[in-house]
Amino acid sequence: MGPWPVNVPDTGQGPMLRHSYVDSMNLTTPTALFWGALAIPIVIFYILKIRMRRIPVSTVMFWEQIFEEKQPRSIWEKLRHLLSLLLQLAFLCLLVTALSDPFFSWEERDKRRIVLVVDNSASMRATDVEPNRLRVAKDAAAEMITSLRVRDEMAIISAGTQPKVICGLTGHQRTLRNALESIPETDGPTRVADAVELADRLLADHPKGNVAVLSDGGFEGADELAQRDNVVWVSIGTAAKNVGITRFQVRRSLLDPIGYQLLVEARNHSDEPVECRLELELDDEIVDVIPLKLEANGTWSQVYDKTSAQGGHLVASLDYEDALSADNSASAILPERRRIPVVLVTEGNLFLEHVFVANSLVDLTVTNELPEKIPGNVVVVYHKKLPDKLPAGNLFVLQPETSTDLWEAGDVIESPIVAKQDKNSDLMAHVRLDNVLMPEARQLTAKSEITALVSSAEDHPLYFSIKRDSGSVLVFSVNLERGDLPLRTAFPIMMSNALAWFEGSGGELREAVSTGAVAEIDLPDNLLSAGGETASELILQAPDGGGQRVPVANGKTTIGPLDWAGVWRLKPALASDGESQPQQPQLEIACNLADPAESDVRVIEDVTPNQTSLTAGIGGRPIWFYLIVIAWIMTAIEWYLYQRRWIS
Amino acid sequence: MALFDSEFLKKLEYLSIVSRRVFRGQLLAQRRTMQLGGGIEFADHRDYTPGDDFRYLDWNLYARHDELLLKRFQEEEDLHVYLLLDCSRSMAFGEMAKFDLARQVTAALAYIALADLDRIAVFAFADGILHNFPLTRGKARILTLLRFLENLEADGDATNMSEMVQAFVHRQQRRGLVLILSDLFDPAGFQNSLDMLRHHRHEPNVIQFYHPDEAEPNMLGEVELEDVETAEIRKLTITEKNLKQFRIVFDEFLKSIHTYCRRYGLGCTTTTTEKTFEELILGMMRQAGALA
Repeated sequence: MGPWPVNVPDTGQGPMLRHSYVDSMNLTTPTALFWGALAIPIVIFYILKIRMRRIPVSTVMFWEQIFEEKQPRSIWEKLRHLLSLLLQLAFLCLLVTALSDPFFSWEERDKRRIVLVVDNSASMRATDVEPNRLRVAKDAAAEMITSLRVRDEMAIISAGTQPKVICGLTGHQRTLRNALESIPETDGPTRVADAVELADRLLADHPKGNVAVLSDGGFEGADELAQRDNVVWVSIGTAAKNVGITRFQVRRSLLDPIGYQLLVEARNHSDEPVECRLELELDDEIVDVIPLKLEANGTWSQVYDKTSAQGGHLVASLDYEDALSADNSASAILPERRRIPVVLVTEGNLFLEHVFVANSLVDLTVTNELPEKIPGNVVVVYHKKLPDKLPAGNLFVLQPETSTDLWEAGDVIESPIVAKQDKNSDLMAHVRLDNVLMPEARQLTAKSEITALVSSAEDHPLYFSIKRDSGSVLVFSVNLERGDLPLRTAFPIMMSNALAWFEGSGGELREAVSTGAVAEIDLPDNLLSAGGETASELILQAPDGGGQRVPVANGKTTIGPLDWAGVWRLKPALASDGESQPQQPQLEIACNLADPAESDVRVIEDVTPNQTSLTAGIGGRPIWFYLIVIAWIMTAIEWYLYQRRWIS
Repeated sequence: MALFDSEFLKKLEYLSIVSRRVFRGQLLAQRRTMQLGGGIEFADHRDYTPGDDFRYLDWNLYARHDELLLKRFQEEEDLHVYLLLDCSRSMAFGEMAKFDLARQVTAALAYIALADLDRIAVFAFADGILHNFPLTRGKARILTLLRFLENLEADGDATNMSEMVQAFVHRQQRRGLVLILSDLFDPAGFQNSLDMLRHHRHEPNVIQFYHPDEAEPNMLGEVELEDVETAEIRKLTITEKNLKQFRIVFDEFLKSIHTYCRRYGLGCTTTTTEKTFEELILGMMRQAGALA
């Protein structure tokens, strides 16, 4: 095929000299030209005319009259048959050429590689543009897809929560459009910078590679990114004002067993002061309504003390209409407090009795006799008095003086110095014993493996736990009657921690995680052993009901990054036959947007993108497409002529 | 009898009565012929030419207007009705054959004529006269006539009306009403033959039959048209445009029949085979009544 002079179209790479030069056309699949052999049967069929229908008529004199009148045009009549043949051959020629997929060499030389980075973070759900920013971004991206030329390649990456390649490099526009439409809205943070990094890897130093970023900004380094030569920045959205909850956490009170503390922070991302209300609800019951007066670009933060033994879902919601609704509510999980039956075996200790009486969750029974039988859910507190063989169940041994089956009692340690404290243990949360006056303790030698929580300088365990198959045992060897520990705040906290430890709760604070964050979750025993054996994986259920499996290792699991704000649930991955199991244990994790950068939906106006356009020129189609169109038109003409009998 | 059953005979009688009662016999027999001659009833004037009989000059008119005009009178004589029935193969074209309708109309007209005491003769023709039913008179002859008609078949060769009329005028010396029942699909045209009849002082009347498919053909594309009369094959490619042209040509053909007959004052009826013979006869009666 000889060289054809063509004009090179604008490639979208800035100003480019338009000039004419000699270019050549190539075929992708030259073997398709063999289909041209179909011309042979066409010509044969043309030569061998189909036998005509014979129709009897009463007279032919009228037909003769008609066709005699047309005699002068007989040459044209002869040509009409030939024209029909030529049309059919031309149609075949076009089809065969289309099958061989011809292309100009400049198409191959100037092909572009474009990566669309579509921001689907929470801020793109803002409705300052109709219907929302993500939809507008998708529409803009669709235009870019339409403007793709033949042999251009495009990939799509979503940049919310975590960068994800939605569609690999392809030139197929329908695939790209379908992939574009499949990008979901999220409550996640913006990860445009990471997405552009991923896009760079996809471009692989392509000479005509571009990254098109469709985003509302809202992240550090947006301006530098927009200035890059190979980045086309499409800014989505306006300078819309927004008020959002940027922090919401709850924890149980350290002192009040049924109390809890709330931390709420709200920000006003606008240049005008805002007045609104913050409503706090616990399991749909209103806890408090707080009127807010937020200064322009101001932040409001407050800690509230509330009480509830039941626990539940705490929801904070802002009563304010703004551009982004995702940050107008936040949730947190308040753990339930159950009542704990405690049997205190003592000859009498006022401080000890009162520290349990003061705990409103404790049902205390004080006795001087060693109990013969211990129910499963009862915590028995032994003060000095001990049986030789410790019974099964949860036992808290204070100030032991005799040996048991678990330890040998030794000499008295005078004025032990606390040298080591296990700060990571839940039992020692908010407890410090190194500055407590402890004149005396008992030296105990364990007969089995123990977990030392507090040790003396001589490495004698003062406070330790023993895990048995028949129940847990806590031992505190310090003499309570000599020293000021019962007078310290650490004492009720220590007792409260111990009871919570026996109950199996994993701590007082079940932290609400942020969208896009990765969190390591300590799993409670009942969840780990829900199936009868230790679980190796759990189901993580999203707020919308969708689930995914997460692995379990060492009693912990890692979740995230989470896409959606709301309450996520960890459930046992039991072989379910589809029926719901309402009694199965679950762990709830609150997830909130809680990201000031996402809540600030104002588009950064000083982002000055470079002026590179990706939509230069009309959307190209391959040459075969135009050949098929011409062939189709010719078929239509031939059909029309044949049907109208203008030909033949 | 399939063609002429008892029902047909009843219809004939009905038509005969209607003919007499409503039109007072003006359809055929008692109608005055257009022949001019030595009757007593004034017909019209014509210019005097030297040699004309002075007795017929209208002297009153000459006195008033100073013009020499000759009075003409209608000739009164017994009416001879000649029925010329086309038996060419084209008459058998289509499902509702023209030939059957033409035979029924022939029988009906013959019956009305016989009922009015006129003389009738029937000639079956194609490229010439194939069969003839000689001049006869009286209603009693109707059954013989029907038998004659029923035995006829449309198997004649190509229509040649000139040949037929030539043969007819040589046989029939007596002038009369000549009813031609045909599709008139004569490649040489029908005008010459009608001219010849007129020149021999007959009074031709035309009843032309055509099949709906002949007026509105619907074949398209590459076809071989076979002329049923001549077995001639014409290979044609028929387009929509050709079909339109055909309709125009066929309409012109029908118009040419009417135009010719109107020009010479001849009775003319064209009909499709969708009409029944009694509808056709009644239509002709109304037409004749309107003209009378």
